Amino acid sequence: MTHNGARSRRAYLKATATGTAILVGTTGLGQAGASAQEEGADFEEFEIVHWWTAGGEEEALNALLEGYQEEYPGVEIDNNPAPGGAGSALDAAVRSRVVDQTPPSTFQIWPGESLRPYTDADILESVEDLWDDEMREAYLESVMDVASPDDELVSVPINIHRLNNLFYNVEVVEDAGIDPDGIEDPTDLLDALETADEAGYTGMAHQTSSEWSTVQLWETVLIAEHGVETFEQYIAGETDDLEEEVRESLELVVDYSEYFSPDAGAIAWDEGNAQVIGGDAAFIHQGDWAAGQYGEADFEYEDEWDFVPFPGSDGVYSLVMDSFVMPTPNPSPAATEAFLSYCGTVDAQERFNPIKGSIPPRTDVPTDEFPPFLQDQMDDFENSDEQPTTIAHGSAVRPEIKSEIEETFSRFLETWDVDDTTQGLLQAHQAAGY
Amino acid sequence: MIDPLSRTLARTRWLHRRIRARVGRTDGGGSERSRREETERNAKSETEGQSSTDDRRPRPRPDGRETVRAVETDGWLARLRWSAGLQAAIFWVPPFVLMGWFVYGAIGWNFLISLTDWSGLGQPQYETFNLEMYARMLEDRSFVAAARNTVVLLIAFTGAALGIGLLLAILVDQGIRFENTFRTIYLLPMSLSFVVTAIFWAWMYNPETGMINVVLGGLGADALAMNWMSDPRTKLFSIILALTWQFSGYCMIVYLAGLRTIPDAHYEAARVDGASTVRMYWRVILPQLQAATTSAAIVLMVFSLKAFDFIFVMYGDTPGPSADILAVMMFREAFSRTNWAYGSAIAMVLFLLALAVIAPYIYMQYRRGEL
Repeated sequence: MTHNGARSRRAYLKATATGTAILVGTTGLGQAGASAQEEGADFEEFEIVHWWTAGGEEEALNALLEGYQEEYPGVEIDNNPAPGGAGSALDAAVRSRVVDQTPPSTFQIWPGESLRPYTDADILESVEDLWDDEMREAYLESVMDVASPDDELVSVPINIHRLNNLFYNVEVVEDAGIDPDGIEDPTDLLDALETADEAGYTGMAHQTSSEWSTVQLWETVLIAEHGVETFEQYIAGETDDLEEEVRESLELVVDYSEYFSPDAGAIAWDEGNAQVIGGDAAFIHQGDWAAGQYGEADFEYEDEWDFVPFPGSDGVYSLVMDSFVMPTPNPSPAATEAFLSYCGTVDAQERFNPIKGSIPPRTDVPTDEFPPFLQDQMDDFENSDEQPTTIAHGSAVRPEIKSEIEETFSRFLETWDVDDTTQGLLQAHQAAGY
Repeated sequence: MIDPLSRTLARTRWLHRRIRARVGRTDGGGSERSRREETERNAKSETEGQSSTDDRRPRPRPDGRETVRAVETDGWLARLRWSAGLQAAIFWVPPFVLMGWFVYGAIGWNFLISLTDWSGLGQPQYETFNLEMYARMLEDRSFVAAARNTVVLLIAFTGAALGIGLLLAILVDQGIRFENTFRTIYLLPMSLSFVVTAIFWAWMYNPETGMINVVLGGLGADALAMNWMSDPRTKLFSIILALTWQFSGYCMIVYLAGLRTIPDAHYEAARVDGASTVRMYWRVILPQLQAATTSAAIVLMVFSLKAFDFIFVMYGDTPGPSADILAVMMFREAFSRTNWAYGSAIAMVLFLLALAVIAPYIYMQYRRGEL
């Protein structure tokens, strides 16, 4: 693997550099283009590390890279995936390379607190200059905050998934006599699950073989029951007077667990989702990536499946985002800057998101390319009042605290001990040393 | 499982003997005294300005021609020139350097890191060294749980795999038909990657649709059907069962090789003396399989210390206190939490456990003169 670009390619790249410079100049991509032009930069090989290797994800990334290449024909791309859901393999690969000071050109990372270990060690370059006024106007304030954990922009979010959804099988809930729109809060949901159970269905498809699904269920219940403010107080580590709230939300999760998939401990989340598609389960709480699976199964939106915001979290759009960053020392500064600028454009986000099944962080992307479900989500996003981050998907707490919370939940899934888990959650920040 | 360094040294010694034999010296490294005497003679003759007749004695050359031995004027140079270690340098230096740097150097460096407080993505500071990380383990309930599980896994898995392997070997050794087919079938799981077998077993352990509970239900043993993978009482057991399935074929092969070296006469003699089958195997055959048991056990135990992939695929990096093992915890601390120093300290504990497993074996070999 060449991290520093190959010298033999220089001559060839130089020839294309003139063309690239003209293109960059004429497309008016602002300072990135200008600086690339000033340096007369020939692009070094651009290495991108990501974990998008599953069907739709891979296509989405390829569409993005294709657009990038069209915009900057001189760039040679080294597409270097580190497969493993939610970055389980990518973390190890990127972190050891960063410590060895041979990072890739860019890598995929959840923005927010996930960035903290990198900003602490001064490993991410500021990308303030790449965010021109036009781009800043198109992003919501809350999203830009997440992209800048230290008040300085260090990442460019490319997509947004929503976490607080409750998907359901239309036929099943009708058969059980449940009106999902009438479920007001998390406690009402418990009744609905019971109703579904009595009608002979699994109330809530859920997996417990790995803890993250339960972490995200708990944090969503916490928000739905006690509001975003309580959640933000928790993630900030001000947990002294939160015992009541944490305990209540955990108790609800324990109550829900009565109605989880009977094989929850042995399945993955998508096998749970398949129970909803197959008509065995009524509800599933998942991020909106679950909708991708419905599309693949020709399961029709609104006719066969539908969703409501998790009961009690109307007006909340819990953000699960992916972003790209510029690590230092960067093997290909010009190409990386060009890529990050490109990720912030309407063109890039319009190519990437419909395939990925997420919505663009820019609010000015035309909606025609998106399927009806995502159009509704884009609408909800623009009209949402609050956009909290998430623990399970890395943006709300540092990785060390996240791992501590995950361990607390892995114990919880064995014991279902509310007292012990409440204490574990209240002390997670402290236990992780923060 | 012989340490490559020791193997290199053993080979060096062998070479030493060969070279000495070929140059016509028969001391074979064993008669230190005669060499000392020679050295003394040389030293004496130098000071007296005359050389001893011994040194003029023609020596056969390695290529077989006869030659008048050049006068050996100074003893230390001669010893250096003929010293086996130097002669064999081309054989031992490259592996010595590579092993020294990449294995022992890395272990040493890892130990050094475990004495720092390195965390985060910056560079380690080698200023203060202390045992803080090791002290932290004792108070860390995750560590205690992981260490306990590691030991349980090591003992139960090794015992079960050896037991089943031995049983299979004895059965296959009865001169049955299709012996080769059975051997292949039993060994096959060994050739699969843990990623594959972990997913297979997750399917089989599914409490609703999985084969195990379905079979138990079919036999009317519903009471035994469990949430194998999620119930803390059976989590570690289900891992041990799956790993045993995967490794007992290997044990069978090792034992089978051992059984084949036992002469038929031993079986016949036992029969003639009127021993029952059980008694024959227990008293006559098993004691002769000690070497096979030892080498298979070493492989299994060392493997169980690093049974990372299987658990990681089944549960991710936080399997919960009833299935967590040190190898998974080491990964979690180092890569999910960037607590490099703590991760290194856990790695050192694993290293010491591996040494504790191997050391008796190495020592035994040394005693037997096989090293």
